[in-house]
Amino acid sequence: MRLGYELVKEQLFFQKELIERARWFIRLRWAAVGAALLGSWAAFLFEPRFPVFPLTLIALSILLYNIVFLLVWHRIHSRVPHHVRAFNVFAHVQISMDLAALYGIVYCTGGIHSPLLIFVIFHIILAGILLSPVSCYAYGIMVAVVTGLLLGLQEWALSSPLPVLFQSSLFPRDAESAHLVVHYGVFVAAILMTAFLTTSLKGTLRTKGRELLYVSKELEASNAKLTALYEMLKRIGLSSDLQELMDLATRNAAGIMGVKACSIKLLDEDRKRLNFASSYGLSLDYVAKGSIEIDKSPINRKVIEGSFFSIGKIDEKDYFQYPEDIRKEGIASMVCLPLRVEKMAIGVLCVYSDVSHHFDDEEIRFFSLMSDLIALAIETLRSEINKTWFLRKAAHQLRSPFTAMYSMLKVLGAGYLGPMSKEQKEMVLRCIKRIEMLGDLINDLLKLGIKRVEADKASLHPVDGGSILNGLATLFQSQAREKQVEVIFGVEEDLPQIMGDERLLDELFTNLISNAVKYTPAGGSVRVLLARENQNRVRLEVADTGIGVPEEDQRRLFTEFFRAENAKALVEEGTGLGLVIVKEILDHLGGTISLESHVGQGTRIRCLLPAI
Amino acid sequence: MAIGTDILMIDDDKDLVNSIRIVLESREYTVRAAYNGKEGYAKIQEKTPNLIILDVMMATDTEGFDLAYKLRNDPRYQNIPIIMVTAFPKKMAEEGPDKFQHILGESWPVSQFIEKPIDPEVLLTSLEKVLKEAHRV
Repeated sequence: MRLGYELVKEQLFFQKELIERARWFIRLRWAAVGAALLGSWAAFLFEPRFPVFPLTLIALSILLYNIVFLLVWHRIHSRVPHHVRAFNVFAHVQISMDLAALYGIVYCTGGIHSPLLIFVIFHIILAGILLSPVSCYAYGIMVAVVTGLLLGLQEWALSSPLPVLFQSSLFPRDAESAHLVVHYGVFVAAILMTAFLTTSLKGTLRTKGRELLYVSKELEASNAKLTALYEMLKRIGLSSDLQELMDLATRNAAGIMGVKACSIKLLDEDRKRLNFASSYGLSLDYVAKGSIEIDKSPINRKVIEGSFFSIGKIDEKDYFQYPEDIRKEGIASMVCLPLRVEKMAIGVLCVYSDVSHHFDDEEIRFFSLMSDLIALAIETLRSEINKTWFLRKAAHQLRSPFTAMYSMLKVLGAGYLGPMSKEQKEMVLRCIKRIEMLGDLINDLLKLGIKRVEADKASLHPVDGGSILNGLATLFQSQAREKQVEVIFGVEEDLPQIMGDERLLDELFTNLISNAVKYTPAGGSVRVLLARENQNRVRLEVADTGIGVPEEDQRRLFTEFFRAENAKALVEEGTGLGLVIVKEILDHLGGTISLESHVGQGTRIRCLLPAI
Repeated sequence: MAIGTDILMIDDDKDLVNSIRIVLESREYTVRAAYNGKEGYAKIQEKTPNLIILDVMMATDTEGFDLAYKLRNDPRYQNIPIIMVTAFPKKMAEEGPDKFQHILGESWPVSQFIEKPIDPEVLLTSLEKVLKEAHRV
């Protein structure tokens, strides 16, 4: 059964055709008027008895009413563009007027003996195209009756049309009355045949049109589905939380498939059990049944092995251990597909419908595409999490021996284990210093690694750079005061937002400012300014009165582990990774950095960041 | 006050525990040590300590947190002050994986949080502060 909505849509489709045709006939009529005028005057030149004036009059009246029709068409079209009835009435009026005009011309050019009588056929065809079959036949019968009347009137000399000048093959002038009846029969048959052929041809076209409409509707539906799928992927692609990603996936999948529920079950590590990882539209009771042992569930085993499982009606086959649970959920049909990454199943994706036989082959194919994409999204995020997690683990592993050593040296250095000679103590303090540097190096290395992973994940969005900078101001000012370096912060008013990520920008600002403070001797100053560079760039400027970077070192400043000689001389600690992190972040944000420095005078760093 | 104050240090790094032990014992604290959460809990049951120094990451990433919660939810132990130490810089811990974030999101069950590497002097200062607060309560 088709829905009312679809019927209306179909009607609209054919109605559009009606409106177009109505317009087309108006155009056609201009040509007809022209032909009528030209024809009449040409005939008049050959035959002075030709009734050129009545015909011109009729042609002009056709012209007149066609102008009216044009106006009416525009009026209906602009006021009630979807009013089928209005256009229907309009079509009737047009055909009736045309027929009347034609009969006027026929009458003037010899009545039934007029060769122009044959033109009624075209009007029947037009009626067949524009109107319903019944109307077409009605016009056919009307034409037959009017022609019959004309024949009767003329034959029994009750009416005398204008002089007959032409010989028509339809109703020859000198034929006997009995013959004329036969001619009339043939005429009526031709009219009705025309009506029949036109209406049935139109019927076929209509069926074809309907099929076309159906196909286009299907295409539209699958296009809508694909668009929705794309939107879903975009959304889940931005998610950095696995649970959130899966919840989004189940909710969206149910929406796109137009079903009541969807679930994701994931395989555990030893691939023996499936656990509900996310579900939408299922009751807690259903999900809380816990994990499913694959060995005991032939359906799930089949799916994990790579085939899909579809059931049109739950009680149709004895598939389930607990069909009553499924019925209680209101599930009537379901499809389950493997979530596969490179042919290896990581779980099962199911959709549940409350309608029996909901899923056809087409939908299962689409669903399979969706499940592949969801699996890919899950696996990608998982590996990202693993990457970061690995780095964090490594951080701990590397830091453990370092922290123990540090504490032991501190204990030793503080004299808890007894007094030491001055040289011994100095040596221990050197050890502490060196091990602190090692700690910084480990931290920076890991930060760099984690930043790389995070930068990959961070989605850029408008960020208020000013508030991030202001947040850092207090921190740096107190730090700099200790060093007796003045730090001045400035944020331009009405600054556009930066396309970035809070964490990355925080890290970027921190690195640049702390570097400046670090290499500025006591009594110096660091100026930090965030300002608008142009329409789509924001400029971060960090200018210090520090030691500066020798020209020959400037190019290598952004390479890993590089530290300028004079920097090493001033500050012993330093990993040479700070500016590498800065560069990485800028690369990710699509920003640029430039440096202007003079040894002993200071350094000015300018970063241009994309703004919105 | 320090004399006889019973401090339980739970950390899987024996070197670290020993160096801290030296510092604390020099201040007349009584120090007991445990090298994992389970052992630590047993020692607590044996005798309720006056303060616990607890490492976050031991055999599992949240072993320290888990123990802290267990103690906080137990009326017998919920008033023991805890100093939590971790090699994880705090920021990293906050940005950590689900389980971490989840735990840090709830009300922090710890009296004091210090970052490794532990500077013995810093530890002593916070220890005295925490003990003083606990004593006042």
